[in-house]
Amino acid sequence: MEKLRLVRCATVIAAAMMASTALAEPKGVLRVAVGADPATFDPAFNDLPVANGVDLAVMDGLFRLDAKNNIQKNLATDYAWSPDGKVFTVKIKTGRKFSNGDPLDAAAVAASFNRLLDEKVGSIYRGLYASLGQAKAVGDDTVEFHLSEPNGHVLMLLANTAASIVNVKAVASMGAEYGRKPVGSGPYMVEKFVGGESFRLVPNPNYAGDFPATLKAIEYTVVPEDGARMALLETGEADVVERVPPESMDAINALKDAKVINPPSMFSINMELVLRGPLQDVRVRKALNMALDREGMTKGILGGLGTPSVGMVGPGTQDELRRTFAPIPFDPEGAKKLLAEAGYKPGSLTLTMTCPMGRYIKDAQVCQALAGSFEAIGVKATANVVDRGTWSKVVGLDPAARTDNMGMVGRATAGMDYTLYRLFKTGVGANRTGYSNPKVDELLAEGRSTTDLAKQKEIYGEIQKIIWDDAPFVFLWYQTQALGVANKVQGLEVQPNETLVFDKVTLK
Amino acid sequence: MSIPRRLAQAIPTLFIVSLLVFFFMDMIPGDPAQMLAGPGATNEEVASIREFLGLNQPVMTRYGLFIKGLWDPSVATSFRTHRPVAVELAERLPNTLVVAVGGLALGLVVGTISGVVCAMRQGGLAEAAITVLTLAGISMPIYWLGLLCIWLFAVHLGWLPAAGAATPMHFVLPILVVATRPTAMFSRLITANLLEALSKDYLDTARAKGLSETRVIIGHALRNSLVAAVSVAGVQFGGMLGGSVVTETVFGIPGVGRLLVDAVTRADYPVVQYTILMFAIFFVLINLATDLITQWLDPRTRDHGRTA
Repeated sequence: MEKLRLVRCATVIAAAMMASTALAEPKGVLRVAVGADPATFDPAFNDLPVANGVDLAVMDGLFRLDAKNNIQKNLATDYAWSPDGKVFTVKIKTGRKFSNGDPLDAAAVAASFNRLLDEKVGSIYRGLYASLGQAKAVGDDTVEFHLSEPNGHVLMLLANTAASIVNVKAVASMGAEYGRKPVGSGPYMVEKFVGGESFRLVPNPNYAGDFPATLKAIEYTVVPEDGARMALLETGEADVVERVPPESMDAINALKDAKVINPPSMFSINMELVLRGPLQDVRVRKALNMALDREGMTKGILGGLGTPSVGMVGPGTQDELRRTFAPIPFDPEGAKKLLAEAGYKPGSLTLTMTCPMGRYIKDAQVCQALAGSFEAIGVKATANVVDRGTWSKVVGLDPAARTDNMGMVGRATAGMDYTLYRLFKTGVGANRTGYSNPKVDELLAEGRSTTDLAKQKEIYGEIQKIIWDDAPFVFLWYQTQALGVANKVQGLEVQPNETLVFDKVTLK
Repeated sequence: MSIPRRLAQAIPTLFIVSLLVFFFMDMIPGDPAQMLAGPGATNEEVASIREFLGLNQPVMTRYGLFIKGLWDPSVATSFRTHRPVAVELAERLPNTLVVAVGGLALGLVVGTISGVVCAMRQGGLAEAAITVLTLAGISMPIYWLGLLCIWLFAVHLGWLPAAGAATPMHFVLPILVVATRPTAMFSRLITANLLEALSKDYLDTARAKGLSETRVIIGHALRNSLVAAVSVAGVQFGGMLGGSVVTETVFGIPGVGRLLVDAVTRADYPVVQYTILMFAIFFVLINLATDLITQWLDPRTRDHGRTA
């Protein structure tokens, strides 16, 4: 009897193993409910994490990011810089095809990049990729980038979904419809797109890469209202729901067959200061930083969906280059002392802040709490909570044109160079604080031109240390993601930039 | 008054609306290029996107293009999707109309029936119940009622899908929820008008002809009460198009209302401008339709039209 059971057990295990080796056949339909409505999947214009996930599944890049934002080769087999750092050469896999059967050769890759860089196309990422210069196909399997300036961060740029390879021929014939049914070479393709309502991905029969489709279909439903979206998980109409609000986490965790997962997010939320008047004094900036009980705020206001900052850039922003520091202590007394040292009596300093509503988790409430905390160290602070249009206008102004003293902004970019160069280099048109430090400028230029990882690590470590000490921001926290996932979903991964990764997803 | 003449009269109205939507959109804060570029963009990148979107052209040129877009859809494209706004609207409009027309029709039928019941059974239990329900229907915010209905019918009872628009079943809850307000309004209105009409002499004439009480009410009293209901229905229908913004967000229906909200938050000017203009055209047409129906129901207004 005992033996028989053992035998039976062994058969079950063997069957299970057979099943897992036979997994190559895609099966099951994953249903995902998302809050944001992707207007386009065209990587040159998309700016939503939902569509990043679709682009990752539907298109191939030369490189890609894994669930931890580490760079992996995808179409690329090898790469090299020219000795002067001006030409970056990538060898690609041969014999690959787009989902419509068109060949994906070096010429197609070069055409895709030249489209992204073409001023007439008007891509929102043209500036970001401008340093790629021009792409040239050499034979069938080699692409050369003739860089407009030496850039040691090309890999990071190429691994982003914005650099996914687009079938330029299909774009020419489809026009704007390409944004709905993009022709790529990824494991899936968009089968159906109903604007504002739903879209469906199915396996791409022409796929020949390393991340084959595991699911028969991925069905997305767009439901902007939080409560209604959560209800879809409760009724079993969805297997994954995006953006669980803090107040719904307990209810979802109480469900029998679903729970909340909390992957880290690279979204670094800060009050970015305008470095003028009293805020030019580092003591005042430090005092503001010490006035906050970040631990209490992330628990009390964000419902746990935040981790107090230990550095300007969030986790997943090139972790190999990222440096973290001791959390800033909550020390109102010390803050008052610093203010006194800087010559400000309690009540003599008045600051205004600009905050968005509904852009970041509990942003408006956070701003009220910040005003209260500043009040407690004797700084009069007013929180201006404004609509999205006004907010993006104000935080996008040059420091000289700003009338407020700080603005709440979240930053999530895959690149260390991208983030730090834009935010802290003197005179760069995206530097909204007016921060200027010759040492940092020098290091940023050096870091951009070097291709040596060890050297980059040293340079960017030093920059991050200087920024942390100079405190041009009131550092707050990194947001934490919250997704409701049915227990039957296995292997779902989420990148720190909120992109869903379907590589290993199976349904039990 | 003839229909073509009425339509011609609407042209100045629509011209003023076009001016308002175009210039208000220009005045409200927010820069579409800045929003598309994101907070990490440099001034130069924003400027290049602004140039690409054509926002650097003189304001009169842009207004001219806006008007040209009314008959040439290729000029009027969304900033975000680059598809013609006409295509975007055509795709979303049926969903909005299904909910609005469905809600209005349901409200008209249920409201009329409950209104008649109320008028005929004054002081009864039915009247009390209907009065309470209509009061609730008028006062309940659609947003809250929608979430309550999702909880009851989708989560708790599991009868209907919670959100989305994939099948006809998905439209049942939104229509029910949207119908509450018109139902309540019509019910009240019909009751009040019927009660007034019931005391009129012409009903005694009808009864004296030997008609049954039901035929007296349906054929004579109700017909007169409907005149007021039709003009309210016109206003309600317009309100429902505006209210679609809320309903469509709660139930995840891809309609014009949500398209408009998304476009406003993303500063997609062309979509906002043409959508509002389309709503204005609808209002003009609805008013025309209400007038025509009223004329048909009430011969007196026809005579006024002729003598005037």
